Amino acid sequence: MSATRELMFDHGQPSYSEVNTDIINALTTTTWRYWVTLGISAGAALLFFVAPWIYQIIVGVGAAGMNRNAMWGTYLSNFIFWIGLSHSGTLLSAVLHITQSDWRKSIYRSAEAMTLFSLMTAAMFVMVHVGRVWFVHWTFPFPNPMELWPNFRSPLMFDVMAIVTYLTASSVFIYMGSLPDFAAVRDRSTGLRRKVYAVMCFGWRGTAHEWHTLGWAYTFFAVLVIPLAVSVHSIVSWDFAMSTVPGLHHTIFAPYFVCGAIYSGTAGIVTVMWMLRKFMGFGRYIGQLHIDNLSKLLLVLSLIWTYINICENFSGWYSGTSFEYEAILYRIWEGPFWWLYWEMILFCAVVPLVLFSRRIRTNWNVMLVISILINIGMLTERFVIVASSLPRKFLPDVFGTYFPSLVEISITVGSFAIFTTLFLLFVKIFPAVSIYEVKETLNPLRKREAHS
Amino acid sequence: MTLLASFAHEDAALDAARALREKGVDGVDLYSPIPLHGAEEALGLGKSMVRVFALLGGILGAIGGFTLCVWTATRFILPTAGRAVIALPPYLLITYESTILLGTLMTLLGFFVVGRLPAWRDRTYRASSNVDRFVISVAGPGAPEAEEILRAAGAESIEREQSE
Amino acid sequence: MSTIRDKLREYRTAGYYTEFEYHWTMAVDLDRCTGCEACVVACQAENNLPIVGEKRMRQGREMKWIRIERYWDDSEYPNARLNFIPMLCQHCDEAPCEIACPVFATYHNQDGLNAQVYNRCIGTRTCAVYCPYEVRFFNWFTYTWDEPLEQQLNPDVTVREKGVMEKCTFCVQRINRAKDLARDEDRRVADGEAQPACAQACPTDAIVFGDRNDTDSAVSRKLEDPRAYEVLKELNTHPSVVYLKNARAPLAGEEDDGHHGDESESHASPVMWPDESSEAVA
Repeated sequence: MSATRELMFDHGQPSYSEVNTDIINALTTTTWRYWVTLGISAGAALLFFVAPWIYQIIVGVGAAGMNRNAMWGTYLSNFIFWIGLSHSGTLLSAVLHITQSDWRKSIYRSAEAMTLFSLMTAAMFVMVHVGRVWFVHWTFPFPNPMELWPNFRSPLMFDVMAIVTYLTASSVFIYMGSLPDFAAVRDRSTGLRRKVYAVMCFGWRGTAHEWHTLGWAYTFFAVLVIPLAVSVHSIVSWDFAMSTVPGLHHTIFAPYFVCGAIYSGTAGIVTVMWMLRKFMGFGRYIGQLHIDNLSKLLLVLSLIWTYINICENFSGWYSGTSFEYEAILYRIWEGPFWWLYWEMILFCAVVPLVLFSRRIRTNWNVMLVISILINIGMLTERFVIVASSLPRKFLPDVFGTYFPSLVEISITVGSFAIFTTLFLLFVKIFPAVSIYEVKETLNPLRKREAHS
Repeated sequence: MTLLASFAHEDAALDAARALREKGVDGVDLYSPIPLHGAEEALGLGKSMVRVFALLGGILGAIGGFTLCVWTATRFILPTAGRAVIALPPYLLITYESTILLGTLMTLLGFFVVGRLPAWRDRTYRASSNVDRFVISVAGPGAPEAEEILRAAGAESIEREQSE
Repeated sequence: MSTIRDKLREYRTAGYYTEFEYHWTMAVDLDRCTGCEACVVACQAENNLPIVGEKRMRQGREMKWIRIERYWDDSEYPNARLNFIPMLCQHCDEAPCEIACPVFATYHNQDGLNAQVYNRCIGTRTCAVYCPYEVRFFNWFTYTWDEPLEQQLNPDVTVREKGVMEKCTFCVQRINRAKDLARDEDRRVADGEAQPACAQACPTDAIVFGDRNDTDSAVSRKLEDPRAYEVLKELNTHPSVVYLKNARAPLAGEEDDGHHGDESESHASPVMWPDESSEAVA
């Protein structure tokens, strides 16, 4: 019996049937508070995201604050933020699955859901960003009405392929991992819900053969998803790094973005876990061990992130080209967004240093604040990269500035509402904590040990 | 006729399954709420064929992705940015992604084919095996003699069900 | 077998074309440029560029395929001089913008032109971000022309809708007309036959346009000038627009600092002629 097995549950181990009862009840019993929250967030998504977007489609992308100097704006920086947020789900579920870390088992389902939904939100931003969204399907590999295939040499096509692959792989991953749990929900429910879950679980019975096949398939999914976690954000970073823009044309961008992505994603998981504990009553399954481990991960990532940031600024200074040097100087001191840069340093590099203290690491409420601060920092990081580099490239005559318009700010706010709405729907469709994998972390039901 | 024996302990269920296998009883299946380590050898399940699907998917994806790039680029030549029409670095990235994409999809297909799912018709099973019971089913002619073995292994209850 | 090897070699050639059919090139003599902006107006009329209005101009959304960049030199006030560089799409042979487009809206054609195909464009704006010269313009809105201004639209040029990227085409409609005419008469386009609107409008003949493949053309002769340089050459974009540096001559009363046609200087430091400018300053 491993030490972690004892540490996983703060209030003693539940029995097998209690696991089913707890998790499925959280799924099936819905209070009026849930409906009110869902209504508010869906309404906010419509009001702040969909409505301004429709307005923007009608008048043109000019509704946003972008101009000739800054052709990319918050839409792109938010796209990168949301893709980044999606990364830790993969890390937790795939990497920790391969390394057989048991503590992942009660939190990975929600982390995976976060992956999927932030990826969907990111995909929405691609569509919000482009000028002619009604032709956005031309980027898919099929001959468009002009009998033209997409340009596979373009970094944006790498993006399309990476996101499509990531979306497919992570949906398959979360769905396949949930099959046995859908069967468990089916068995406890009646009426329409039973019929729906009977279809959703594909007739799962839990035979040894089925477990065996799922085990193999799941390992392959995990192995296939891990390279994606590294490649997707590298590819996104090459959208920037393949340009000639000073301040973006850095080889360090791929590791910088991957590290930042996993960083913000892990912080996002901490936030989501706090919500699950608070509002879904999963405190029994998500405890001290989880927050401690996640916080250690955050600490390591923050140190790597700080190091890469120093490297980036150093290379700007060391490059010897005036363009690069001035771009860095403009970003951190001379430009209009210098305060955002230092805010990001404060939230992402300085504040996480308190995680060296174990008392802070295991305090859920403090961790909620820190995790939110980190994600605010990461959101501004992406904004600063875009908004401070593009308006000043090479020719001083066309130097300009960029500031997001009301439409852009509204859509940014609305994207959080979209994510929340999707996540609220998720917790009522999927068991938010994996039933069978939590059971695996309990003491096994063995006759011999029970007697000893 | 199908025999369904329910166990409260996983080792008891595994012992029973092993004993049935030694006696040469056919049509044995084990239902459990969690994947059981040892169920593979107890029921004689080897390496799953899913891995073949995964490998095939990966190979197909790699070849397919690269071929897609080369074929589409040479079909209508539009040179860009001083690059070659067949430019290896970008095409290898696409190949990388399509390898993973097809690998995933083929693994999914493999799971369905090998696991014989989806099966939406009514099939024999006990709902308790999704909670905390380990159920062994014996279908076909071996059922009568299996009953003793199961009882000896410590089955809580044994039910009979007319199979379809 | 050898054909397959030949094909492969063809497809593996960087840039695909070993030689362009015509290599359209523009030489801009900064010595002659007075900054009158006649080229800007001519371009606007020829290519159906919308007039965006004061408000959008302030937002930085003007549409000027060619613009006159103005740089003050370092000198103190009465001697301070304004230098002009007309900036337009450089039609780079290794264009950073062409990397970006996922739908082939911008590509390199057989004439060495950086072509922009409006109906393929989906408006990702990545090309504009990648362009170091910032000469790509995005249709933030669908612009309209008030009556009767729509009557003066050039029928040879598409009117672009919202969400489409556009840029200088070297007046490809004029080039194509010249090429069609030449093909009918079974000859090559003669020098000076194809002229973009800006070159045609330039009162001082500062802009010279032609085929670089033709060694006798006016533009080829301009390229041999020691003053010739490329803007942002260090980015390795191989532009098709070549600038002729403004020869630095001392103002009246100023010491000659010996910068006559100095090739080591990468950026132009153009000035006007001494007597004219001292008059202008006075």
